[in-house]
Amino acid sequence: MSHSVVTSTTVNSQYDSIERQHATARVGMWLFLSSESLLFAGLLALFTAYRISYPIAFHAAAEHANIMLGTINTYVLLTSSLTVALALAATERGRRRATVGWLLVSIALGATFDVLKIVEYAQHLHEGFAFGHYFTATGLPQGAVLYFTLYYLLTGLHALHVTAGIIVLAYLAVRARHGAFTPESHVVLECGALYWHLVDLVWIFLWPMLYLLR
Amino acid sequence: MKRYFLTWLALVALATLSLFVSGTSIALSLAIAAIKAALVAAFFMHLWDSRPIHRIAFIAAVAFIVLLILGVAGDVGTRDLAGPYVP
Repeated sequence: MSHSVVTSTTVNSQYDSIERQHATARVGMWLFLSSESLLFAGLLALFTAYRISYPIAFHAAAEHANIMLGTINTYVLLTSSLTVALALAATERGRRRATVGWLLVSIALGATFDVLKIVEYAQHLHEGFAFGHYFTATGLPQGAVLYFTLYYLLTGLHALHVTAGIIVLAYLAVRARHGAFTPESHVVLECGALYWHLVDLVWIFLWPMLYLLR
Repeated sequence: MKRYFLTWLALVALATLSLFVSGTSIALSLAIAAIKAALVAAFFMHLWDSRPIHRIAFIAAVAFIVLLILGVAGDVGTRDLAGPYVP
């Protein structure tokens, strides 16, 4: 690595132009997002298998999901995707302060999601709806513990992604504030935004699966 | 800009719709989710007007996830393997 500051317009030696370098970065990001989706695929398949095996237990267990908090979080994440898209649009118009502003709003929405998730977890754990053999709630059909174990695994893995996304957005906000993104060159911002949208995409499926399927 | 707001409005409307139809059909809830996901991918993630290679990369992953889930569902759903669960 050279000691010069790497900006969005630095062309690495293996590329003959900044356009080609950015094109490669975008394809790389989409490949990363694709493999990231497959990370969730195993758990989704497991959920499918157990839901088919224990339909009554899963219905009964889903009755205890906090549909109110889950739904608020759905609107929060959908809106955060809009604000991230607006941050990118602001950069394309050369509006640096608006970019930083929209990124900060997105970070706040992401943090709101995480806080509500923690409230939800605390509530479930308090009521004995824990995972694995820590499950102490009574009165549910056999197999209900599987719903809760998968609920924690799926939403936990997703919440980790939200948290990682917040860190990415914070990094982007700092970079944007220092003028790292120009209307012509902002591929890092593009890729960070794509990551955030993927987090939204995953939740779009988790919400009906875990909260609405009764 | 306007496209982003319209996409968001559609997403909020579809989310509200799935709240109202929740409990009627799993397939319906998941179909609404698929439409929402398509909207996010197409407009927020710009797959609608980006290079085909981006679409190929992502659609391939989605296709394999669907294949995996359908395969598992078909398998578990057609045999009587799951006995009573013993914690």
